[in-house]
Amino acid sequence: MNCITPIRLNPVGFRSVFINHYCLIRFNIKHKKPHEKAHPSSSLGSLSAAHQLFDELRQRVCKTEVLMEEENWEASSSSETEEPGFAADDDEEFHSGPKLQFRVGSSKARWVTELGMAEVEVKRGKLWTTTGIIRSGKTYCFIEEALYLSEIGELQILGNEDVVIPLKGLYEMVTEEKSGCCWESYEVYRYLKGLGYILGRHGVPWTSKGAAIMTPSGEGEDSVTKLLGDMQLCDAREVFDVYLPNSRFKKSSPGEPSFVACLSGDSPPSKEDVRVLQSRIAAPLRFCHIAQGRVSFFSFSSINLPILP
Amino acid sequence: MQINSMAPRWKWKGAEAKALAEPISKSVSELQLSLAKTESSGSLSSCNVLLAVEPEQAELLDRCCFGKLVLSAEKVKKWIQLSFEEAFYLLYILKCIKLSLRGRCLENEVDTWMYMRSKRPNFPAFFKTYSHLRSKNWVLRSGLQYGVDFVAYRHHPSLVHSEYSVLVQSGDSDRLRVWSDVHCAVRLSGSVAKTLLTLHVSGNSNREDLNLPTCLENYRVEEQTISRWSPELSREDETTSPTPKVTNVSNLKTP
Repeated sequence: MNCITPIRLNPVGFRSVFINHYCLIRFNIKHKKPHEKAHPSSSLGSLSAAHQLFDELRQRVCKTEVLMEEENWEASSSSETEEPGFAADDDEEFHSGPKLQFRVGSSKARWVTELGMAEVEVKRGKLWTTTGIIRSGKTYCFIEEALYLSEIGELQILGNEDVVIPLKGLYEMVTEEKSGCCWESYEVYRYLKGLGYILGRHGVPWTSKGAAIMTPSGEGEDSVTKLLGDMQLCDAREVFDVYLPNSRFKKSSPGEPSFVACLSGDSPPSKEDVRVLQSRIAAPLRFCHIAQGRVSFFSFSSINLPILP
Repeated sequence: MQINSMAPRWKWKGAEAKALAEPISKSVSELQLSLAKTESSGSLSSCNVLLAVEPEQAELLDRCCFGKLVLSAEKVKKWIQLSFEEAFYLLYILKCIKLSLRGRCLENEVDTWMYMRSKRPNFPAFFKTYSHLRSKNWVLRSGLQYGVDFVAYRHHPSLVHSEYSVLVQSGDSDRLRVWSDVHCAVRLSGSVAKTLLTLHVSGNSNREDLNLPTCLENYRVEEQTISRWSPELSREDETTSPTPKVTNVSNLKTP
């Protein structure tokens, strides 16, 4: 830490300086008696002390600067400025997501039981460029999107009589598997989203101009029946289209996904399962294995070794 | 169809050129001619075949990576230990050796096949995969050190590192049936910089048919690689697809 010029501390406000896109706060604290050695509790002895003070004050702090930092973080996690190997050292940090929840006036959505989705009513932040589907000019999100955003404090879901559905209620909706997403799928969603990837349910277009929203997991009877029919052919199933982090992502033209995340249940996919899935999906497949909150991705690829001279 | 493109790692500068100058197929042909000319004969034991050869032939066998030299003081003749797969390949595919069992020469290939099968029930699937890759001029050695069935080299092990660790999967095998097996095999392969390759042997497996080596023609071998992908290492904002994760091999892209 560089040396700090002492100035008067306003108990409500403080100066924050952003050194890099991780929020590093420097405090300027006034010493009561300049000639005396600063008392440890009021001196800027360490970064952890600074963070502690920050925690205590954040409730009363003007949100604008902090808001900016949050958005920068969102955007920067999907920008090219990070070194590729960078995140490997900060494994745990990315897995657990941002720890501090700043938002009070966050986005709001209303859960619509008939649709099995939430209709977004208030949007805050750039995150909506990569979350939720658009139908007739409105944005809707699936349970995994709603839950993830709620977990990180970005979204409040309203239920009956405008009561905010607590996290407990949202978790139940996932574990009960009534909204098209099981817990394993959610783990995959959360893990990849936290790393900046863009995910959408396989088979659900991001936008559908003019089409009213019909069913939660498909665009009409035909596709749902087809989906169910396909699923019966093998134990493995496709779950999410995954796109690389992309600050220029557009729902109107998302392009081809980088890969399709699949689940195969609690055993690896058989060769036949892989063949069946790959025959109807052009993109590369990656099979997810979820255990103890850790997600691993495996490719099972058909190849043909060349004939050597 | 995805091709797992891990470039061959040649062991020294000039190794690749040497490999190109002396293709495996050529060495194998030379070996075939040499062994046939001297009517080389091997004797079957319960787990391998012992082949007596001239010193030049021992060198040829080494060049094609068949067998392991049994060290002895003897200078006139050399003894090579061959695995069942290697021996049967020389016998049945290259047709350049003869085999004897307990002093009696086995005239019929079927007898050898039956004997080997009786000692190792998984021999048919193992041999099918061995000959599948050998016919494509890949060099196969035992994979025991790496916890797999074979390791596949693009050329002689002195010139190149092996690229694939090979596991044999037949219809009724229970290998890689649980996720921890997959994690284990992939991690092991990755830690020695190889790609895990599974060879699935399938076909009409009539029990009677297995008695004849001609059943081999009815079998099909399908190749599949299994690799692990690490999302942390592949987030560049490009259209190129992420590279699979291989531990101990740097795949960090320079910005």
